[in-house]
Amino acid sequence: MIQNIKYFEMKQINIKITTLFILFFACLSCNKQLDLKPTQSVDNSQALNTSNDVEAALVGSYRDLIDYDMYGGSIFVCADLLGDNNELEWSGTYQGMTQIYTKSIPIDNQFVSDTWLAGYTAINDVNNVLGALDVVIAEKKDRVEGEAKFIRGSCLFDLVRMFGKAWNDGNPSSNPGVPIVLTATTVITGESQLPRSSVADVYAQAIKDLKDAESLLPAKNGFFANSVAASAMLARIYLQQGDYQNAANSANKAITAAQSNGFSLNTAYADEFPNPTSPGPIANTPEDLFAMQVTTSSGTNVFQEFYSANGRGDIAITDKHLALYETGDDRLNLFYTSGGSTYTGKFENLYGNVHIIRLAEMYLIRAEANFRMGTSVGTDPVNDINKIRNRVNLPDYTANQLTLDKILLERKLELAFEGFTLHDLKRTEGAAGVFNWNDPKLVYPIPQRELRVNANLTQNDGY
Amino acid sequence: MRTKILFFFVALLTFQLAFSQKQVNGKIMDAKDGSPVIGATIKVVGAKTTTISGADGSFSMKVDNKARRLSISFIGYDEQEVEISNESLNISLVQNISNLNEVVVVGYGTKLRKDITGSVAKVGAKELNNTPVTSFESAIQGRASGVYVQQLNGKLGQGISVRIRGASSVSAGNDPLYVVDGIPVITSDLSSNGAATSPLADININDIESIEILKDASAAAIYGSRASNGVVLITTKKGKLGTSKVEFGYFTGLQKPTGHREFLNAQQYVDFLTQAAYGAAKQDVIYGYYTNLADAIADELDYVNGRFKRYSADNNDWKKAKVNTNWEDQAFQRAPISQYDLNFSGGTEKTKFYASGQYLNQSGILVRNSLKRYSARLNLDHEVNDWLSVGMNMSFARTLNDRVSNDDAFATPLQLVALSPITPLIDPRTGLLSGELDPLTGNPNTNYPVYYNPLISVDNSSYNTLVNRTLGNVYAQVKLVKGLSFRSELGMDQLNQTEDAYYGRLTARNTGVPNGSGFYTSDQLLNINTNNFFQYNLTFKEKHDLDLVAGTSFQNQTSANSEADGENFPSDAYKKLSSAASKTNALSSSTAFSFLSYFARANYKFDGKYLLALSGRYDGSSRFGSSNRYGFFPAGSVGWIMSEEKFLQDSRWINFLKLKASYGLTGNAEIPNFASRGLFSGNGGYGGVAGQRPDQIENPNLKWETTAGADFGFELSTLKNRVELEFDYYTRNTRDLLLNVEIPGTSGFATQFKNIGNLKNKGFEITLNTTNISSHDFRWTSSLNFSKNKNEITNLNGQILGTDVNKAIEGLPLGVFYTKEFAGADPNNGDALYYLNTLKGDGTRDRSTTNDYNLASDVVVGDPNPDFIYGIGNTFSYKGIVLDVLLQGVSGNQIYNDGGQYMSASGSNGFDNQTLDQLNAWKNPGDITMIPEARLFYPNGTDPSSRYISNGSYMRVKAVTLSYTLPASIISRFKISSAKIYARAQNLFTFTKYTGWDPEVNTDWEADNIHLGLDFYSAPQVKTIVFGINLSF
Repeated sequence: MIQNIKYFEMKQINIKITTLFILFFACLSCNKQLDLKPTQSVDNSQALNTSNDVEAALVGSYRDLIDYDMYGGSIFVCADLLGDNNELEWSGTYQGMTQIYTKSIPIDNQFVSDTWLAGYTAINDVNNVLGALDVVIAEKKDRVEGEAKFIRGSCLFDLVRMFGKAWNDGNPSSNPGVPIVLTATTVITGESQLPRSSVADVYAQAIKDLKDAESLLPAKNGFFANSVAASAMLARIYLQQGDYQNAANSANKAITAAQSNGFSLNTAYADEFPNPTSPGPIANTPEDLFAMQVTTSSGTNVFQEFYSANGRGDIAITDKHLALYETGDDRLNLFYTSGGSTYTGKFENLYGNVHIIRLAEMYLIRAEANFRMGTSVGTDPVNDINKIRNRVNLPDYTANQLTLDKILLERKLELAFEGFTLHDLKRTEGAAGVFNWNDPKLVYPIPQRELRVNANLTQNDGY
Repeated sequence: MRTKILFFFVALLTFQLAFSQKQVNGKIMDAKDGSPVIGATIKVVGAKTTTISGADGSFSMKVDNKARRLSISFIGYDEQEVEISNESLNISLVQNISNLNEVVVVGYGTKLRKDITGSVAKVGAKELNNTPVTSFESAIQGRASGVYVQQLNGKLGQGISVRIRGASSVSAGNDPLYVVDGIPVITSDLSSNGAATSPLADININDIESIEILKDASAAAIYGSRASNGVVLITTKKGKLGTSKVEFGYFTGLQKPTGHREFLNAQQYVDFLTQAAYGAAKQDVIYGYYTNLADAIADELDYVNGRFKRYSADNNDWKKAKVNTNWEDQAFQRAPISQYDLNFSGGTEKTKFYASGQYLNQSGILVRNSLKRYSARLNLDHEVNDWLSVGMNMSFARTLNDRVSNDDAFATPLQLVALSPITPLIDPRTGLLSGELDPLTGNPNTNYPVYYNPLISVDNSSYNTLVNRTLGNVYAQVKLVKGLSFRSELGMDQLNQTEDAYYGRLTARNTGVPNGSGFYTSDQLLNINTNNFFQYNLTFKEKHDLDLVAGTSFQNQTSANSEADGENFPSDAYKKLSSAASKTNALSSSTAFSFLSYFARANYKFDGKYLLALSGRYDGSSRFGSSNRYGFFPAGSVGWIMSEEKFLQDSRWINFLKLKASYGLTGNAEIPNFASRGLFSGNGGYGGVAGQRPDQIENPNLKWETTAGADFGFELSTLKNRVELEFDYYTRNTRDLLLNVEIPGTSGFATQFKNIGNLKNKGFEITLNTTNISSHDFRWTSSLNFSKNKNEITNLNGQILGTDVNKAIEGLPLGVFYTKEFAGADPNNGDALYYLNTLKGDGTRDRSTTNDYNLASDVVVGDPNPDFIYGIGNTFSYKGIVLDVLLQGVSGNQIYNDGGQYMSASGSNGFDNQTLDQLNAWKNPGDITMIPEARLFYPNGTDPSSRYISNGSYMRVKAVTLSYTLPASIISRFKISSAKIYARAQNLFTFTKYTGWDPEVNTDWEADNIHLGLDFYSAPQVKTIVFGINLSF
């Protein structure tokens, strides 16, 4: 009986406690607790709804464009290593680069697959922007579209010349290039397995994008892509195709527009490659038609990493290269030695911008194209070449002295280590040691990972 | 009224009986060593009178005159009855041989081992206590069947891989769920240097009473969507009824690396690289850079000799091998370890407490690696009244880990082995460490020695990880009616970590930053968990035992992270970011996940011999797509205690026999918090302008990975319980694998989370415990565990996943080494050869060889998963002396030396010092060797291949403890109730064919589900010898 009373009292209390817990349960049951949202990201549906959103996505495209394996520079450094003919001395530990340097690239080479991924990531970024142009306010629409197309055209061109045969190697209309992607990817389906378009189609798409960019963009656009850079990129593409008429015209267009919009050659060659005492971001020089911005918090300069003794110092310069300069060439003064090796001093700033197009290149393109055609679009070739030579304290050539070899040598020395070796080797049909310009080993393989997930891709010859 | 009268009479009777009582005294001792048994329950047979033995094992009680016998019981000992006599009783308790009656912690409750129908392994305090390791996972290595513990390397506080019955996932987590005192704890790796750390290292091993590992679906399914990889339940110590006691423990000792690797000495180095220069010259001609071999040789030699001079501190000492630096030695330091423990415990009928404090001071074997941990705990249990009890388990830990870089960094100590033996430790030009100062520039050298000298980092950089961890829970338990109780638990795990790093001016070659750089990270994690559940026990009609549990659980974990970076410090005296002239980066982020769950379990036992258990959990998680947010995970099991049947009851041979079978579903939810969404990320800023970019492609259908597990087994006890055998056979089939699948790069994304594919694990486990000798003074027991697991991916939709040599491929175990098969050097020209291995029409492979790497097909060249693992323990005790030896082994796995491309590279990687075996490189036509011709900077066989595969089997003398418990006669004079001194060794000997540092390895910067068995300049494991003392007052 006593026991019963106690149980009764206890039950009273228990009812209260149980009620509390039931309330607690009920609260827990709110499914809301499972609706957590990320804080650093937004759902796709929320991302591109205003003009400001789309502009931000455009800026983000540059961030992907400056990826290590794209315009951060590895695509250019690797092109110089692959095309090297004993002018560079590679002593690095990245096996992927050693393989490229020795022209024995396995199909799972990390640099190769990462460049493919980085290129298409930037392309997908701008495709998102282009797909959302409708919400961009009218006065900004042209600029946004132009910048997006500049990036897409440039990426397609750089991908096709690494992953496809050279334009002048066989028939570009049947040689496989790279897939062309013109819309943003939001779902993965069977159709995501895109086949390779022909080299010619990719070039055509790149030219179309850049022509659109050229007409849509303003000539001045901060450090973002501008119409002068679009003309310059077109000149580069036409030169690669051996279309000297268009190359001369586009280079001339770029030079003319540059002059009237505040772009000019730096007074001294070294000014293009600033080397502050303490590494830090430095704005574009007047000579930079387009350069990727490196700051302490975004972007990397891969040239610095490999060419500077203060970086990894993996690439030294051989005497063979140094012997190509004339005495008194101011460009020689940029080289320095450390521990018995010679390094280029072009890339000493850890946070230096990555030069993509310098005005000097346009003079060289215009000179070469005019010379090859015997024309004087803009000016006589000798004037353009002398403009480059004078800056580095070299004497004028007379028109009679000028030869194609001299133009090409001038180009090689002026643009040395900036990513031109492989592509110039191919269009001038030269050789790197026993590797002829059209050797399949001088073309990147289609990455193994892409072949695994895309049944419609074909591998390149030689792999 | 009648009740009251009755009560009066009863009271009177009791009163009268009290007059006829007598005093009984005695002392309870361990039969083995005569040490006092404290806290044993002494009960009068047939009455309610009980008492507890005190600190010296003695007891004293008044008993009814009519009482004849006492029953004495204590956990871990056989119950014993003795006759009451007038003299003082000396009672010797014999330790339990059988563990059938041991209490085993299971999810949301406990069970007796003999009633368990699932598969649960238990490691107790006895095995764990005073193990000289940082984290408890190392202490269970080799001690439980089906549990494969692998420490990645010998750095302190680093991640430890624990796989229970094999890996169940390819892309989602493979680590078990860790639950401390009922609350799932934070296990996220918070390291920002690319090498994982383990938050479990914050737990004081000496606070652990037991670790239960729930292995099969039936045991684990109550943890639902996170139980696929098994569940590890950690239960901390509680106060025990009886006299309060104070225990003090201390050990100290030294640690050393378990192994080393052979590298070239100075003369061998010069000779070998000169040989490599000749090899390179031949290639120069073949590549067309030279037309004349002599010219090429002259240039290459000139180049190599120039480099020798550079690496010899710009002198000619290299010519006569005057300097011969053993860089490997420099990577290691003298590494003392000591630990202090102090704890207080005790309890009355109403309140029990356990309070502990510990200080661990451990140096790593690698230079500049050290760890200090302070921890404290208070566990309190109190019975408020006869229906309400409350309590708490609360611990605090502060862990300071001075860490070194990940294995892939030039600054990691063991990369010292890459430096040239001709390079002096101290640069004679400056009197400083080589690389610290270039006399020409006044700055650190940029290309001397061959790489950045990691020793510079010892004094010129710091990377301190500080963790403050509060882990605990409070509970209230209410008895509602007889047999029914309700328990509410609220647990909290708060982990605050900061990383404070500074890299001084002299590290510029490594950091790329000339004037000092640093960073500071902060992670604040809060994990809140509530469990509310009913427990109901009912026995009816004597033969039916019913045990029910039902409740709900909610978990929410939030994490807030920030990081700041700076460069350009006024001098190395300033190490905080306040002094950085440029603040290079700042970021903050946060993330969260939650689980809402309902669970229930029913255990039914009929007639003491037929067992049935059913359980289920209904789980929802924020991690999954909106269309698949909830999952249900049921399990069932049956058991039959055959030895209770009539036909076996009287068997002399079989003391206990149980058959059991279980089947159930468990889930795996260990994927990134928002993996199902299509996302843009705001981290697209460029050139100082804000930007956003696509971050992840959507999959709204993303759901749990489900594992269906079946287990069949038996437990047998024979020869008077002197031999106990446990056997389990299991299969675990995982479906809807949460795969991070590769997708075409043209989409702008590399991978996407999808539910694709299946994998299975099957295997068996044997545990054998024997009491070989048990005499009065001498006792020898053995325990053996053996586990064999076979993992196979059965469906991946045809994909091959994995970025390196390890791959996930259909029909093969996870992480197999899948690459070219190396065929040695071409006898004609020294080229590296590979077997073509292309599939021919008849299904065989083409065994001819090629020097074109791309032509050879990838084949399976090794498997990082062991065929079987085992542990063999032997304990010998003679009076107060106990010797305990544990052997632990892993067999049938391979290791891939990912550093081979640099250290065993035929000189292809330039001036890296090479392993001794490279001296066998091909030299002349006709040479038959597995080492291709040495060719400086011309890769010759350095691409991934079976060249770098080795046998990874090993057997270790894992733990040896020799202890002596001082006899009571000596210590009682000092008012000490028990004293023990011991010597203990960890990883004392290792038997292996592996020629690297240590076969227990997986390089920290690559380690994940697929990347297994990789060695990459990884620190060897640690051999530890300590001497210690335990005192109890």
